[in-house]
Amino acid sequence: MIAQLVLNGFVTGLLLALPALALTLTFGILKFPNFAIGAMLTFGAYAAWVANSLLGMPLAVAAVASAVVMALVAMLCDVLVYSRLRDRGSITLLVSSLGISLVLENICRFAFGNATRNFAFEVARPIRWHGLRINQEQLITAIVVIACVILIQLLLHASPLGRAMRAVADNPALAAVRGVERQTIARITWCIAGCLTALSGVLAGLDRAVDPLLGWNYQIPIFAAAILGGLGSPTGAIVGAIVIGLAEELSSLVLPTNYRQIVSFAVILLLLLVRNRGLFGGKAVRK
Amino acid sequence: MSMPPVTPALSVQGLRAGYGNGGDIVCGIDIDQAPETVLAVIGPNGSGKSTFVKTLAGLLRPRAGSIAVTGRDVTALSPARRVMAGLAYVPQEANVFGNLTIRENLKLATEFLRGRPGVGPAQRELVMALFPEIAARPKLLAGNLSGGQRQMLAFACALLANPEVLLLDEPSAGLSPKFVGETMEAVVRVRESGVTVLLVEQNVAAALRIADEVMVLVAGRKSLRAPAKDISNADLADLFFAKAG
Repeated sequence: MIAQLVLNGFVTGLLLALPALALTLTFGILKFPNFAIGAMLTFGAYAAWVANSLLGMPLAVAAVASAVVMALVAMLCDVLVYSRLRDRGSITLLVSSLGISLVLENICRFAFGNATRNFAFEVARPIRWHGLRINQEQLITAIVVIACVILIQLLLHASPLGRAMRAVADNPALAAVRGVERQTIARITWCIAGCLTALSGVLAGLDRAVDPLLGWNYQIPIFAAAILGGLGSPTGAIVGAIVIGLAEELSSLVLPTNYRQIVSFAVILLLLLVRNRGLFGGKAVRK
Repeated sequence: MSMPPVTPALSVQGLRAGYGNGGDIVCGIDIDQAPETVLAVIGPNGSGKSTFVKTLAGLLRPRAGSIAVTGRDVTALSPARRVMAGLAYVPQEANVFGNLTIRENLKLATEFLRGRPGVGPAQRELVMALFPEIAARPKLLAGNLSGGQRQMLAFACALLANPEVLLLDEPSAGLSPKFVGETMEAVVRVRESGVTVLLVEQNVAAALRIADEVMVLVAGRKSLRAPAKDISNADLADLFFAKAG
């Protein structure tokens, strides 16, 4: 029973890892918390649903199409809104992201209504292994997320683009003097964030169903994961996501499952009280 | 010395700059600096020294005037394009990427400056010979370096771009006296390698020791320009406090 909960928690955590990573990347480089993260996830799920159910693409192809669409939408949001407010401070950007969130969510609602939708995807029988029940969706989630995390870590630590992203996060003025334009890096970051949230939207849609409030179910856990990891730390976001996932699942041992969201709130509250730089936030050198 | 016969390495004409809707902080500055010299820009707090050097580096748009490097107008260029044109800049204090390793800092120094003549392995060897101490621990996070070492890394990164003119904003800020001496020595080495240095400095005594010429800035205006050897501390006290009071 506990082993099953741990497994489920681990996969739930992995699902949170992608948007938490997206949130922490945009926070590191653009210095504001993107409250549209949940709506971006919803939008990505709908984009994949359109490609999959309406256009008849296989789900894997639809997921890639949705990642591309969401990357473009995120970049469009930057061109139309965020880049114009870049120097107005983080509160202005935060509020504008709330606005974007409403717009994205209601585009989905306007186009497809409030009904829940499902992907055209054969549900296979779960695998049984040493008494554990492993769903096919869980396997897909684990594979996709781990692949994405490895790719992002490689990108950040072994490529000139990653170095440039970390440099802008560290000191944008100095990066500008080194020939790294903040605007370019910001746009690329939005594209990456768009891809990651769209993929997590597809995985979330597989796990539950696609509806206009899909992203809101994950909003608080995503923030809890990113804050727990130390906002701005990619590794931290992944570890934070897994911890939150495990805590949520294991909480069902002592709490009714519909109170699950309490866990994320409690984690945020505890962090604010005890260790507000998160688990990995302190590792960053500030001198 | 005031009218060099050759093209000035750095030429600034009628430069005005300020922040937002505020008044001018830099109120019309002219400079012609001869190649391979050290010009120290000194002045009381709030005289506009840092604003001046930020405007030269391109981090602040000038409201009027022009800036030329070895005869080429760079006024309209972005900070990165100015580095490509030969104008390198070492900001005050936060002048290395603290969360990147020394090796990554050095890589980033030229990675995005493709096409600048003289950037490459030869220049790297030259710079490493000037600052042997930073090549020793490439995997160390730059934020863990001591103040003096961090300054050396910042110089090295700027020099990797093979600049004609190097702008230094208060290299002695936040350093212990021992490191101030080392840093100023490094500035002399840089000048001897053929680079023109414009040095903004709070530490007047240290700056006077290594400068060829001195410009005193008071309230955004040039109040004196003279060879360093002709300046006495008494003159400076008069200049610093005459208009500031």
